Amino acid sequence: MSDLDAAYSSFAADHGLEVIPSFAAGPLTPLLVESGAGQLGPAARGTLGEGVEGIVGHLAYTRNKTFRFSVALTEVPASTAFLPRLFCVRKGRHTRDDEFYGFEARYSKLWTESTKLNERYTVSISPFQDPVWLRQLFSPALVDWLASEPPADFSFELAYGALLGSVEQDNPDAAALAALCEATAHVAARVRRECEE
Amino acid sequence: MQLNKTGIALFLFFGLGGLAFVIAGVVIPLPAEGRFTFILLGGIWVLVVVGLILFARREDQKADHQDWVFKNGIHGTATVLDAGSNTTVNEMPLMKLKLALDIPGVGRSEVKRREVMPVFTANRMQPGLVLPAYSNPQDPNDFVLVW
Repeated sequence: MSDLDAAYSSFAADHGLEVIPSFAAGPLTPLLVESGAGQLGPAARGTLGEGVEGIVGHLAYTRNKTFRFSVALTEVPASTAFLPRLFCVRKGRHTRDDEFYGFEARYSKLWTESTKLNERYTVSISPFQDPVWLRQLFSPALVDWLASEPPADFSFELAYGALLGSVEQDNPDAAALAALCEATAHVAARVRRECEE
Repeated sequence: MQLNKTGIALFLFFGLGGLAFVIAGVVIPLPAEGRFTFILLGGIWVLVVVGLILFARREDQKADHQDWVFKNGIHGTATVLDAGSNTTVNEMPLMKLKLALDIPGVGRSEVKRREVMPVFTANRMQPGLVLPAYSNPQDPNDFVLVW
């Protein structure tokens, strides 16, 4: 058993998740699109935290160089109507090494209202996002939490109800996986609460 | 479409490089054929960059107009009737959409729209999907599709 498999087994056993050899997430978010088919392996499914169900897995792909992430995937279907896209990505993160295109589709714009958040993340949203709703979501408590609590490289992408938390890691241990799941579940729960309000 | 950092770097490289070739062709004492080659190559680079800058400006104006329609337009819906793509632009599908546009006070009409979309969005474009749309109050055919 590899270190990676052992880490997932250990994490799954400690937190009551079911280990699965692989999971085809599909091209649901930009990071999963970069990886091609969004194939996670090894993976584990169950409760990530705060009552949020999902899948945590290892995502590896090569675009000139090899990228390895631990990702946690869950769903917040109600968010599509309020917040079709929200990408909160750690500043300076690269997810590909073969980008040579000078033009790109205008599908997002930067959200720069929170200095504290922008010190750590690049936040982008749909060009047609309701700013009031976003200000309510990014309450001072959430901004403080995002700025200080999640693992160092933590980023998340919310696209049409699919929420993917990720950390760039080659060989995560069980504690790192737990921190990723906890952070992703916290974001999912916060978005869900805001949608319900 | 919008210009990104890579685009700006490419514009600078080819724009300044092209100018350098043209200047070199004029200034450096070379045989006529050499001068011609430098000036032709530099001229082509500069012309392509100028053309792409004009394209980028037009796209910026289009984006500003879309923002205006979003802020001032009539809020309605667009139901996807048909969606498909057989072309990609920079790895993103160019989606051909057939939509039923329903704008309050204007009525329902069938329209076609071509949009370059990221893969994770294109996959969602299935018949029956209802998307928000904003229509220009002065021109119902001018609308923004929110995807």
